[in-house]
Amino acid sequence: MVALNLMYSRSSLIKLGEPQILFTMLELTASEGARSEPSPPLNVCLVLDRSTSMRGERIDTVKKTAIQLLRQLRQEDIISIVTFSDRAQVLVSGGRYSDKIEIENRIKAIQPSGGTEIYQGMDLGFLEVRSRSSNNNTNHLILLTDGRTYGDEGECLRLADQAANSGICISGLGIGTEWNDIFLDSLAARTGGSSMYISQPKDIEKTLKGVFLELRQIYAERVSFDYVAQPGVELHYAFRLSPQSGPMKTSSPIRLGRIPKEAGLALLLEFIVDPIENGSEALSLIEGHISMDIPARANTNYSIPLHLSRPITTEIRAEPTPTQLLKAVSQLTLYRMQERANQYLALGQLDDASRHMKNLATHLFSQDQHDLARTALQEADNILLKHRLTESGKKSIKYGTRALLLPSGFTGQGDSPEVEESNP
Amino acid sequence: MIACTSCQHNEFFGALYCSECGTQLTYLELSPTETAVHNGKEDAIGSLPGVEELLTKTPMQTSAESRVSIKLMNSGLILPLDSGAEFTLGRVSGNQPILPDVDLTPYQAYEGGVSRLHATIRIEKSTVTLTDLGSANGTRVNGQLIHPHTIQPLENGDMIALGRFKIQILIRS
Repeated sequence: MVALNLMYSRSSLIKLGEPQILFTMLELTASEGARSEPSPPLNVCLVLDRSTSMRGERIDTVKKTAIQLLRQLRQEDIISIVTFSDRAQVLVSGGRYSDKIEIENRIKAIQPSGGTEIYQGMDLGFLEVRSRSSNNNTNHLILLTDGRTYGDEGECLRLADQAANSGICISGLGIGTEWNDIFLDSLAARTGGSSMYISQPKDIEKTLKGVFLELRQIYAERVSFDYVAQPGVELHYAFRLSPQSGPMKTSSPIRLGRIPKEAGLALLLEFIVDPIENGSEALSLIEGHISMDIPARANTNYSIPLHLSRPITTEIRAEPTPTQLLKAVSQLTLYRMQERANQYLALGQLDDASRHMKNLATHLFSQDQHDLARTALQEADNILLKHRLTESGKKSIKYGTRALLLPSGFTGQGDSPEVEESNP
Repeated sequence: MIACTSCQHNEFFGALYCSECGTQLTYLELSPTETAVHNGKEDAIGSLPGVEELLTKTPMQTSAESRVSIKLMNSGLILPLDSGAEFTLGRVSGNQPILPDVDLTPYQAYEGGVSRLHATIRIEKSTVTLTDLGSANGTRVNGQLIHPHTIQPLENGDMIALGRFKIQILIRS
């Protein structure tokens, strides 16, 4: 039903008196026959920010898109809508509707006012999804906000953990520059979801419809990776390459979200292995399993055992790294360079932060990501001159380098320089 | 530990890219025919071999000793520029009278739009410069088109596009 493909950066570990790194890439794909099977019904709640800052094009586009999505629902799908500012209300309670006109009128009547208290909306949205959740559904909460919530972040994160335990995934969509990307990332990642950056109101429709399109193409849901690392082995970094690229937490269980029918799910793991001192022929890295629900097969808690290990040799062999893995690590290096720049900036090490941004710009230029590279150069200057990044620059670089990891690459720039095709 | 050829930052063995500057670590490009052998020391932890002991000296490591190198982005190959002060970059075609010092023909230079004599890199005591030699498809440094026959100073890590063929300049301080 689901195939697991493993790739390692090296065929063996080396007997070495110092730590060493090993990368592993896991790919989970639905079998050929599975792709024609129906996708599970949706049980989705849209949790919409209607604070004052949403006024104008933002709320207008959100309303228009919500109505369009409602019209595209299948018979079996359930949608609910919660709006929030400094208080929340259920605008549309989950169910299947006969009177769509009445519901559309309620959406059209949304008026922005007040502050941003995300927990209020999340809590009502969570209750809506949970009340109709089933292992045969895609249970999903989509949070759309343009602001920062103050004082209730902890409650939101606890709610996200509760959602994950209830099999509910959260996507966080941030509009503009004022929202807290670290908070939204953490909130979504706990459930196997991800955060997304919407820089312009005109992109709200495309992004929201993209999320729904993906939710309609799911083969397996609630994919979870449970593992125990062997002594002397640390899972140092975990990053989901697709669908929706983003960093994952490294402690078990890792919520991986869903397996789309076509593209599958790809995860990159970085292990740090302690010095290898004994005479063993092989080293076990981790033992565990990947569990998931496959609604089309009414198969809940389908499990694939996973044991990662490598032989130990005393020689360093010249061997090619699998191209796909090498490319993924190459792109991930760019994402991590911006992470490091931010870490140095937080520590007040301005020169180091700026240097990382400049190095990142160089690599972005080499990949013809010219707009993103210029943004990185500009932010390198901002670090030295203003001791901070602009919010728009920070988010563009973070989500831009993250998007480079997707199979389709980063399409948000589209600025490859024209090179005249002359016979050289 | 493995030292990055570009910035000399140390990384654990097995890292594929330098976390400081993003350069691909070149020990992976050991010649397939050259295999380092464990030196046979005891198994005690204190005497376990380090990476440097296990790696034999290779052409790639030699490049790390050059002050100036170019990295070919399409292959990851690093070519040292370690003798002479001026290097012409280009490709070889037919009976051309003047050959470039660095022939990029084997690396798909034609497909990348590199001219026969495309640009020169000049290495001086404190500066490294680039000059486009009036190439057909132009030369860019960090995305900016440079004027032909005008000297352009380079810094470590600058990305140079000869037409669409990309190289990175690596300058050790």
